[in-house]
Amino acid sequence: MRYWEDFTVGMAMEFGGYEVTEEEVIEFATAFDPQPFHIDKDAAKEHFFGGIIASGWHTGSMCMRMMVDNYLNDSTSVGSPGIEQLRWKQPVRPGEVLHVKAEVLDRSLPKSRPELGFVKFSHTVLNQKDEVKMTMISSGMFLRDPARSETETSR
Amino acid sequence: MSKIYFEDIAVGDKTISESRTVTKEEILDFAHKYDPQPFHIDEEAAKKSIYGGLIASGWHTASTLMRLLVDNMTNNRAGLGSPGFDDLRWILPIRPSDSLRYESTVIEARKSESRPDMGIVRAEIKLFNQNDEVVLSMKSIGMVKTRPE
Repeated sequence: MRYWEDFTVGMAMEFGGYEVTEEEVIEFATAFDPQPFHIDKDAAKEHFFGGIIASGWHTGSMCMRMMVDNYLNDSTSVGSPGIEQLRWKQPVRPGEVLHVKAEVLDRSLPKSRPELGFVKFSHTVLNQKDEVKMTMISSGMFLRDPARSETETSR
Repeated sequence: MSKIYFEDIAVGDKTISESRTVTKEEILDFAHKYDPQPFHIDEEAAKKSIYGGLIASGWHTASTLMRLLVDNMTNNRAGLGSPGFDDLRWILPIRPSDSLRYESTVIEARKSESRPDMGIVRAEIKLFNQNDEVVLSMKSIGMVKTRPE
C-alpha cells in the first residue's frame, strides 16, 4: 500500500496494455460524445479523420482505468482536485493498444488538511508504436502514513 | 439549422444548457469500467470514506459535461475537434440523482496563424448542480471552421 510519503519527486512508472475496440469506442461515444466521427463508421470515413476515432474523454477514461489498476487501488488515493493541462495529440483508433508513462513532478502538503497530501503527476498515453496520443498534468490526493507523518510538516 | 462558423462567435458569448440527471446505476456502471476505486463502486466503503457516500468518477462528471456540450452546442457548430483543455477543477463531488447543467462563456476567439480556414475558441465552462453550486470548472479549447467564401 502506497501512502503520500511513497510518491517521491522524479518517481517514474510505466504500465498499461489497454486494447481499444470499435465496440467500446462506439458505446462510450453513444453515451457521452455522440458526434458522427465517434459513432458512425460511414460518416467517419468521409470526415478528415478518415475513420472512427475514440472520444477524447474516452481516451482520458481509459488512462484513468490503467492508473487505477496499476497504482491507485494499491494506494491511499482519496480523489483528485483537478487537471492543470490535458492535450489530445493524435486520434485514438480501434485496434490500438494503449499504455501510460507516468512521473511524479511535485508534491505538497495543505495547511488545512493534516491527514492528506497532494502529488502532481505527468501522464503520457502512448500506443503500441510508442506514438504519443495524450498528455496530462494532474494532481492526486493521498492519505499520509501516520507512522511517518511526524517527519514532514505542512508548508 | 445552419451551422455556426468562427465568424459567428465573439468573446463574451454565453451558452446555458439544459439539465441532465446522473443516476446511481450510471455512476456504478461508469466506475466499474473506467474508475473502479472503492468510493465510486462500493456503497459501504464509500460511506466510510472522506466523501461519506457514493460519488461519481470525475471522468464521468466531465464526460457528462461533454454530452451536454454535444447536445446543446457542439453539433450546431462547424467544429474541427479540440486539442485539449486547461485548469479542470473537480470542486464538489457528484452524488446519485444530482442534476447537472453548464454555463459556457467565450474568453478568446482568434484565427489560426497556420490554418486560415480555422479559428481557435477558448471558453470558461462552469458545471452547476441542482442547488446552483459549481461542481466543476474548466477552460475548453475548440477549433472551428471559418465561413466558406
